[in-house]
Amino acid sequence: MTRIKHKNLVAYGLVAPYWIHFSIFMAYPLIFSLILVFHKWDVYTPMQFVGLRNFVRLFQDDLFLQSLLNTLLFLLIHIPLQIVAALLFSVLLNEKIRARGFFRAAYFMPVVISGVVISLLWQQLYSQENGVLNLLLAHIGLPKIPWLISPEWAMPSIAIMATWKNVGLYIVLFLAGLQTIPSYLYEAADIDGASVWQKFRSITLPMLNPTVLLVMILSTIGGFSLFIEPYMLTGGGPMNRTLSAMLYIYKQAFYFNRMGYAATLGFFFALLILSVVLVQRKIIEQEPE
Amino acid sequence: MLIAAVIGLAALAGWVSCDRDGADKSGVNHLTYWPAANAQEILLAKESAQLWNEQHPETPVLVQPIPESQSTEEVLLAAVVGKTTPDICSNIWPGVVGQFVRARSLVPLDRFPDFDSLATARLPDGQLESYRFDDGHVYQFPWKTNPIMLEYNINRLREAGFDHPPRTYAEFFAMGRAISRDLTGDGHRDRWMMFVDIQMKWWLRYFDFYTFYIAASQGETLVRDHQVIFDNPAAVEVFRFFQQGFSEGIFPHASFQGDTFLSQQVAVHITGPWNIAHLEKFKSDGFAWDYAPIPVPDDHHGPVITYGDPKNMVIFTTCRQPERAWEFVKFLLSRERDLALLQTATQLPIRKNLLSDSLFVPYYAAHPRMARFAQQAPHTRGVDTVPELREIFDALAQEFEACCILGRRTPEEAVRRAAERSREILQ
Repeated sequence: MTRIKHKNLVAYGLVAPYWIHFSIFMAYPLIFSLILVFHKWDVYTPMQFVGLRNFVRLFQDDLFLQSLLNTLLFLLIHIPLQIVAALLFSVLLNEKIRARGFFRAAYFMPVVISGVVISLLWQQLYSQENGVLNLLLAHIGLPKIPWLISPEWAMPSIAIMATWKNVGLYIVLFLAGLQTIPSYLYEAADIDGASVWQKFRSITLPMLNPTVLLVMILSTIGGFSLFIEPYMLTGGGPMNRTLSAMLYIYKQAFYFNRMGYAATLGFFFALLILSVVLVQRKIIEQEPE
Repeated sequence: MLIAAVIGLAALAGWVSCDRDGADKSGVNHLTYWPAANAQEILLAKESAQLWNEQHPETPVLVQPIPESQSTEEVLLAAVVGKTTPDICSNIWPGVVGQFVRARSLVPLDRFPDFDSLATARLPDGQLESYRFDDGHVYQFPWKTNPIMLEYNINRLREAGFDHPPRTYAEFFAMGRAISRDLTGDGHRDRWMMFVDIQMKWWLRYFDFYTFYIAASQGETLVRDHQVIFDNPAAVEVFRFFQQGFSEGIFPHASFQGDTFLSQQVAVHITGPWNIAHLEKFKSDGFAWDYAPIPVPDDHHGPVITYGDPKNMVIFTTCRQPERAWEFVKFLLSRERDLALLQTATQLPIRKNLLSDSLFVPYYAAHPRMARFAQQAPHTRGVDTVPELREIFDALAQEFEACCILGRRTPEEAVRRAAERSREILQ
């Protein structure tokens, strides 16, 4: 009996650090945020109970709706671009080319660099008057593009930048997927006289399907958390066209001290992401083996 | 969750670090003083504290610059929540005082018996009333002002055929058209009249829209008696001024790294007296500049009023020795310390007779550019003390972007929309 008690104590001791961490940094904030949902609180003054008023406000908030649409537009540009770019580069980097290791490291580099640093770099690249991209366009006789200052161009510009930053991570995933494809499939295709494109379409792509779906889910979750890029590059402008849902929630909380409303938006948004991911998971589960 | 985590950590930090009785290990009761975190003001604060400590060893002052952050307001918010506020802070922007008062984190200064006499002796007539809160108390003592003015490159204007800075919008555009040009022949402009920051940050609008609006409206602010008052012809005129500047290309549609005025990419710049030391340190040979009032609409009459960018002093309710803290505040507000403020931090004290006081006259004689700001100082306005001011500025910034920078709305429509949104915010 004593031995069992002792074993239990050891077990509790071993899980305690995690539980302490979980309680302070996960459970407490989650419960506190749930309480905030039903309150008005500006941090300075005591909370006021407001019932469901934050939810009523949420459904009447045109700007939140716009921020959701902006996030959706970002995902629509970012996810296909991400998959195509990562797939293309991974196929190239899977070949026995010279300095392959260097290129693999180079493509991965932006993933480990701070988003703030990358945003500052791209701010210079995108500058209307003296940015490198516009200078190149002007050099070949094309008109300058208002990358970050036109409401129509701003979100696509951010999507391009986010793709550049994250593509290295997905290249790694695709490379792992590519290396699991049995080489005899390509050898058989060679004997049958298949072209490079036919081999890619009929062998590589179908065999990479699970990786494509994984990349899609990860890109979706990552895309929903779009924050640093618009925060640094545009502040949500021009005309709120790059105001992502995360940035909007942040502004409500930390610009305007509307903690209750921000918590409500946060919970709603978390449920939305959960729903989308569950739908994606359902689709994956329906995929044939 | 992020919100709760940040607040939780702030509270935890407060609980861990709060020095509740202000006493150090030797039992001496000290006062903590937070000045602004720039080098000049830290130096000034340390000088002041040293002098005070020599005279008052029983209540020494400990100087701690405001911790680094994007803004003083963010740090103070965390400090209020965590109850780690200092005893005294001298970098208080009046726009945030309303929130601190509602949080009961400020000591009403008019509770001190000699407050009225000090205010009467020091402050220009009528100024104190603008700082009185809704409950009838005064929680901040006006300390310094940085009148925002037009900084201009004398040589650049001369080259374009002008021997004086622009006084009206018409003059401004005439000079802008002459100065803005493509120097390299690549079909794109490399030189402009003025740089206006196109980033969507609400506080940037203090130094373009708000400054020009105060000048155009002869000193009106945005809110009076909790009612929006900026839906007027002056605001429309200012929006039109900036819209025209961008559409004519005399303001660049770009962000730049570095100082566009110092690099002579632009001919004029909107700034405060803090920029004098910066230019003196980094200017190239032959670079000549001066300061003038903000340009106004062509039919403007009377003195030009501008945004004063005031910073005030407060005592927090966490202070255990408010009477001693008040004594230190009075020490910082003395004539001698005001002269040190001019000399060390190149910033102007808010006080009567700023130009004629015999203590300051030699300083202006040696620093004529500072004299321009001192001349402007009596003609300044601060900000409204409504807690919703930041949101109102955010609404204005959004319309400024849509109308002036992007040209997607008329000035009338933009001002109307900003006013409507502000009314909703104030409800």
